[in-house]
Amino acid sequence: MSEPTAAPAAPASAGKPRSLWQDTWDILKHRKIFWISFALLIMFLVMAAFPSLFTSKSPEYATLAKSMEPPSSDAWFGYDLQGRDVFARTIYGARTSIIVGVLATVGTVLLGGVVGVIAAYRGRWLDSLLSRIGEIFLGVPYVLGAIIILGSVAPVQSNPGKTMIMTVVIVVLAVLGWPVLARIARSAVIQAKHQDYVQAARALGAGPFRIVFKHLLPNSLAPILVYATITVGSYIGAEATLSLLGIGLRTPVISWGIAIADHTRYIRTGAHAMLFPAAFLSLCVLTFVMLGEAVRDALDPKLR
Amino acid sequence: MTEVLPESKSSNGTYGGALLEVDNLHVEFHTRAGVAKAVNGVTYSVNAGETLAVLGESGSGKSVTAQTIMGILDMPPGKIANGEIRFRGTDLLKLPEEERRKVRGEGIAMIFQDALSALNPVFPVGWQIAEMFRIHRGMSRADAKKKAIELMDRVRIPAAKERVSDYPHQFSGGMRQRIMIAMSIALDPEVLIADEPTTALDVTVQAQIMELLAELQRESNMGLILITHDLGVVADVADKIAVMYGGRIVENAEVHDLYRNPAHPYAKGLLESIPRVDLKGQELYAIKGMPPNLLDMPTGCAFHPRCPYRQEKCVTDVPPLHTISGTRGSACHFWREVLDGDAQ
Amino acid sequence: MGRYAIRRLLQLIPVLLGTTFLINYMVWQLPGDPFAARCGQRPCPDAYINAMRAEFGLDQPIIVQYWHFLKNLLTGDLGVNFNNVSVASQLAESWPITVRLGLMAVAIEAVIGIVAGVLSGLKRGGFLDNVITISTLILLSLPVFVTGFLLQWLLGVQLDLIKPTVSDGAPFVELIVPAFVLASLNLAFTARLTRTSIIENRRSDYVRTAIAKGLSNRRVVGVHLLRNSLIPALTFIGTEVGSLMSGAIITEGIYNINGIGGLLWRAVNDHDFTIVVPIASLLVLVYLLANLLVDLLYGVLDPRIRYE
Repeated sequence: MSEPTAAPAAPASAGKPRSLWQDTWDILKHRKIFWISFALLIMFLVMAAFPSLFTSKSPEYATLAKSMEPPSSDAWFGYDLQGRDVFARTIYGARTSIIVGVLATVGTVLLGGVVGVIAAYRGRWLDSLLSRIGEIFLGVPYVLGAIIILGSVAPVQSNPGKTMIMTVVIVVLAVLGWPVLARIARSAVIQAKHQDYVQAARALGAGPFRIVFKHLLPNSLAPILVYATITVGSYIGAEATLSLLGIGLRTPVISWGIAIADHTRYIRTGAHAMLFPAAFLSLCVLTFVMLGEAVRDALDPKLR
Repeated sequence: MTEVLPESKSSNGTYGGALLEVDNLHVEFHTRAGVAKAVNGVTYSVNAGETLAVLGESGSGKSVTAQTIMGILDMPPGKIANGEIRFRGTDLLKLPEEERRKVRGEGIAMIFQDALSALNPVFPVGWQIAEMFRIHRGMSRADAKKKAIELMDRVRIPAAKERVSDYPHQFSGGMRQRIMIAMSIALDPEVLIADEPTTALDVTVQAQIMELLAELQRESNMGLILITHDLGVVADVADKIAVMYGGRIVENAEVHDLYRNPAHPYAKGLLESIPRVDLKGQELYAIKGMPPNLLDMPTGCAFHPRCPYRQEKCVTDVPPLHTISGTRGSACHFWREVLDGDAQ
Repeated sequence: MGRYAIRRLLQLIPVLLGTTFLINYMVWQLPGDPFAARCGQRPCPDAYINAMRAEFGLDQPIIVQYWHFLKNLLTGDLGVNFNNVSVASQLAESWPITVRLGLMAVAIEAVIGIVAGVLSGLKRGGFLDNVITISTLILLSLPVFVTGFLLQWLLGVQLDLIKPTVSDGAPFVELIVPAFVLASLNLAFTARLTRTSIIENRRSDYVRTAIAKGLSNRRVVGVHLLRNSLIPALTFIGTEVGSLMSGAIITEGIYNINGIGGLLWRAVNDHDFTIVVPIASLLVLVYLLANLLVDLLYGVLDPRIRYE
């Protein structure tokens, strides 16, 4: 009622029909927060792909004599307990964190997406069964579930290989995280399922695969994409948390979480060895969260 | 029919003018897409015991005017650019907020289109009515509740005593609107603004609600501003009519004058688009075109793109509100031709 | 409502059974021997492992093991850990501390989160709103342990305002900062939820009606707007109680608090899972009961909800 522009707007924009993505992009490109997070994202991706562009030092090279030396012009972030360059280790840590975050998210999306779409599309008893199973997994608190699985598969004192432990962490994150995504996918598909065009496609005899891939998935894409972006951020944080507990990644993997875990006991004498990786970790999580939120706000006109 | 006299027939107060006067009101909305002039120099008035119908389609500025009178306009984006709203001679727009607040409910009350969303979903209806007495009159909870039950009886809600603790969603649409009415008349306001009070209701219920409003008005001698887009609702209850289009009043008339012989092409179009039994079988008239875009108003007369009487003058010159006789006015360059009824 | 509550309570049973089974399965049946790491870097002698397996019943089928677990749980016998200390007595000692920490965290997230959300929603786009929006974004991005270590370093080491670690018995004052850390993530969510619903409801018709009734601004906001806007925030806080408690493991680890989190932390490091199963089951129960409570509370907060 108080928006007099709503009613007469139609004749003004009688151009070609605009898609949701175009509208979203038009809003996004005026948002400062989007460009900031986008620039940070590019920076982190480059850092993960080509760490040597940022530092010429080796993250492995250790000079015990320099153990816990504070930041200086020689080593911007100082040296860690083993006398390794904190800056180099922080730069090289980006790769692990981002790989774990992204792959775990991909796993979550695949697992949750498949379950959600099947539940929504098939409905009936399968839907209730899958929803109950999801509830059971949600009932196990995240940290606890990770402790239990990782503690059994890769106990604290064991020394699993680099690829092995990364795979395990990725799988654990995805296994514990899928129910939320399944819910999102399920409700998006259920919403779309009752739309006329999907009913029409069904009436025309389109098979279930065609309906799911051509009609239902594109509709569910926006909320899933937003959730996934934010999830990459929270998984990067979760990976570090697990490393901190000693059940996640561990040496010889280079990651922010390990760097923090290795130096928690030295918080009084050399906080730098912990604070710099923590800052990068937080900034990286922030990047993904900010990006996801910027897209979500642009997609959802109600919150503008 | 009430005679329209320049002096007030209101018994309460010494002010000589009308009870409520809107004078040359201009309201704008500042949006990202530009400035929308929602109300452009609207002037109308209502006296005690009188019913003024404000008629217009959505976007004509009729609701915005009412919201401005009530002081419930969202500001920003809304902005009052000019004009006065005088209640018993005092300009409400110049009153400090605290004084203004006292006018709401006590002096001027309002009922809304959709009672389901206008009533607070988490409080019992009786509580919401009683709140008027508790806040404005400082009554105790028990006394206020008694008053609320009386009012619910008065607007004829069956078993008011049992239903006083029910929540809005537990009532039917018509009953909810009755509760809304009970709440608005709680403090015997002098002016009641009804913003499309029956639009959301079934046709049979519409008539009952209009009857109730008319009856309450007779009993308490309120001035009633009835905002509607439905000419059918107006005929039986209104004394005078203000037709709005594109944020302006395009015709001012006694209700029977307008029905007999409209003086503005838009009012004429509205009348002709009412289905009539005696013209059954004939094609129903429809006003061509779309309502104006408030962000990009047509030049000259806002109605000219849709007007069968259009001349070149209409594209260039904004028509003033021509006085036809007494209080009757029409904002059309060619009101004489419209009255005579020959297009082109 | 009573019938609904009972039905919901009955529905909890299969979920509880499923969850505890899952926990049992994950702890004892996943690849990797639960006793393999008991002997440091050297592999344990087979005889030791076999003895331990027999003692904890691992040589029996999973269903039988689960049945024993349930039977013991119902009789209140939580068994002993690998070092023969009663699990029940360990829990009795640490559980109250975690509950205290959890309640303080809930209070902090509710009060600060809701106040911040309301302030920022009411003055949308203002300076305070921007400050609060940015702060919540940062809180959301900082992993809890980063917030924990940061505050420990800043307040405990640099500024010397608090003790970096909590002393035995966990006195109230020393728990304030840990409780804030534990609450931080949920606090940010609560603030955002409140802000969004304030913004949405602010333009709602019933708020307009309340103004038209001639109510003071304070009453419009404090009664009509707030009552409606708190529903999502309170629901969120309630449903998150369970995960909040399990998040305590990190906070308690950082500040060296002897709650169940600390217990769990040490158990994981010793690779002693006897205590993990009861703790996990307990937390799951808290989570499920909290959810049920929220469901029932929801009907009180929002009369439109009907229980069938």
